[in-house]
Amino acid sequence: MSAAIADTMRSEWTKFRSIPSNLPILLATVTVMVGASALTTSRASENHQAVGAAFDPTYISMYGGFLFAQISVGALGVLVVTSEYATGMIRTSLTVVPRRGRLLAAKVWTFGLIALVTGEVAAFCSFLLGQIMIGAGGASPATLDQPGVLRAVVGMGLVWVLVGLIGVALGCLLRNTMAATTMVTAVNFIIPIIGPRLMPAAVGEWVTTYWPISAGLQVITTAHHPERLAPWTGFGLMTACTAALLMAAFAVFRLRDV
Amino acid sequence: MIRIDRLTKRFGDRTAVDGLTFTVEPGRVTGFLGPNGAGKSTTMRMVLGLDKPNSGSVTINGRDYVGMTRPMREVGALLNAHAVHDRRTARNHLLCLAQTNGIPGRRVDEVLELVGLESVAHKRAGSFSLGMGQRLGIAAALLGDPQVLLFDEPVNGLDPEGIKWIRELMRGLAGENRTLLVSSHLMSEMAQTADHLVIIGKGKLIADIGIGEFLRQGSNVLVRADDQDRLVPRLVEAGGSIQQGTDGSFIVTGLDTRQIGKIALDVGVVLTELTPQRSLEQAYMGLTRDSVEFQAGAA
Ligand SMILES: Nc1ncnc2c1ncn2[C@@H]1O[C@H](COP(=O)(O)OP(=O)(O)OP(=O)(O)O)[C@@H](O)[C@H]1O
Ligand SMILES: [Mg+2]
Repeated sequence: MSAAIADTMRSEWTKFRSIPSNLPILLATVTVMVGASALTTSRASENHQAVGAAFDPTYISMYGGFLFAQISVGALGVLVVTSEYATGMIRTSLTVVPRRGRLLAAKVWTFGLIALVTGEVAAFCSFLLGQIMIGAGGASPATLDQPGVLRAVVGMGLVWVLVGLIGVALGCLLRNTMAATTMVTAVNFIIPIIGPRLMPAAVGEWVTTYWPISAGLQVITTAHHPERLAPWTGFGLMTACTAALLMAAFAVFRLRDV
Repeated sequence: MIRIDRLTKRFGDRTAVDGLTFTVEPGRVTGFLGPNGAGKSTTMRMVLGLDKPNSGSVTINGRDYVGMTRPMREVGALLNAHAVHDRRTARNHLLCLAQTNGIPGRRVDEVLELVGLESVAHKRAGSFSLGMGQRLGIAAALLGDPQVLLFDEPVNGLDPEGIKWIRELMRGLAGENRTLLVSSHLMSEMAQTADHLVIIGKGKLIADIGIGEFLRQGSNVLVRADDQDRLVPRLVEAGGSIQQGTDGSFIVTGLDTRQIGKIALDVGVVLTELTPQRSLEQAYMGLTRDSVEFQAGAA
């Protein structure tokens, strides 16, 4: 990494932490993930017997909280770009870093790292607390040394990163906070989570298997569902889609007048 | 030195900058004048690579701005002082900018002091008055101690003391042999600051001229007198041309205040006002009249 991009990333980190609400929101997001996971886990472990072999204590301990947390991770990613357009700061930023690709790359790397650190913390805390609750509920909890469990927990943090970067990319493409957060919520929540209940069965099935975030979330499962993609395959699909969105964002960002 | 060569920028079917060519030399303040919508800001944005020209080119000290690795050390710009995240403190705002170019935090404190904002360094930029915002923008431009400076309407929102301060700052910077391009649509302001003028209208170059020569081009005096009818013919006889105002005043061109005063004394007319006024403004208006886009309707 060249010195210039490292300097720009340092600046992006200062930008992020010097907006008074960002760090508290990040902390709240981790808390919400852990708290909501605990609630949904205790609910799920009540009827674990009915589910039988399909009961996935690792997945259960993180998924419920993630559904809530991802909304604000995506929104924070959006704001990394759109808050600069809303305030006009983008002009100043591009005056001091006229290489557009460098500025956007610094935003992607910096927010990616922020999402990675907080995502991993949230994933491990949710997992550990969830397993205590599952044990207390009478089911058998998962441990990190069981096959696929560590991959699933680490993978949860990686999905945070992708959700955050989808936010950055859509923020850059749309430039407007409202439009981009709505879009991120539609793409990562409404279509994959609520959509399949409303769509024709075949379409719903396709969305549940191939929609980027649905595919990506296979990485947090340990009991594999034969109709879904394999954990890393699904995650790879989501990564590829995120990369495509980011590439579009870079292309547009380079060409546009500010 | 900034070299602008046949620069053209279109927005849809509107040509904002139209084949503009001029150079900005070091060691002097170059005033960049034109009425609203003339294309001054667009030209400055193209110098900084924010807008892409449809044709033509800009170089700064022979180089392309976008290619500079640490541009703040070579070029400082104040485009829109309000292009600041309003929830960030002044110091943090400057620190974000400084870090991109590897400028140390100590320099941030230096420029804050230089522009007189050290006491509000930890206040949100959004709480700043117009003038404070302008000072913050100037602080940002000075961070890298650059050789070339672009200021787009720097006196906007400043009080008289602030205007005096920035005028002296700009004079000082030019004295250090730096290159300064300063835009304004107020001739009177530029008359006191600039050494050289580049005047544009509707995106085209109207004049590229030294301030001294520009001043010599016309001198007007605003006169108000008790008995105009006796005075005016004598002024015309003496070589003045008269332009009647609507409120009983009139403007004399071609005679200076002393000559007018003497004529009034000769004919025994009391002068109630004698102001060598807006001569520059008038000359400037004369030059740009044909290219003003947004003109108020006659009252
Ligand atoms: N992003 C844009 N899209 C469309 N038109 C634009 C854009 N930016 C500027 N223009 C047009 O280009 C012309 C030049 O505008 P510019 O802002 O450069 O003028 P200016 O000389 O800076 O005026 P002012 O003194 O009011 O600041 C105007 O007619 C303006 O409407
Ligand atoms: Mg302007």
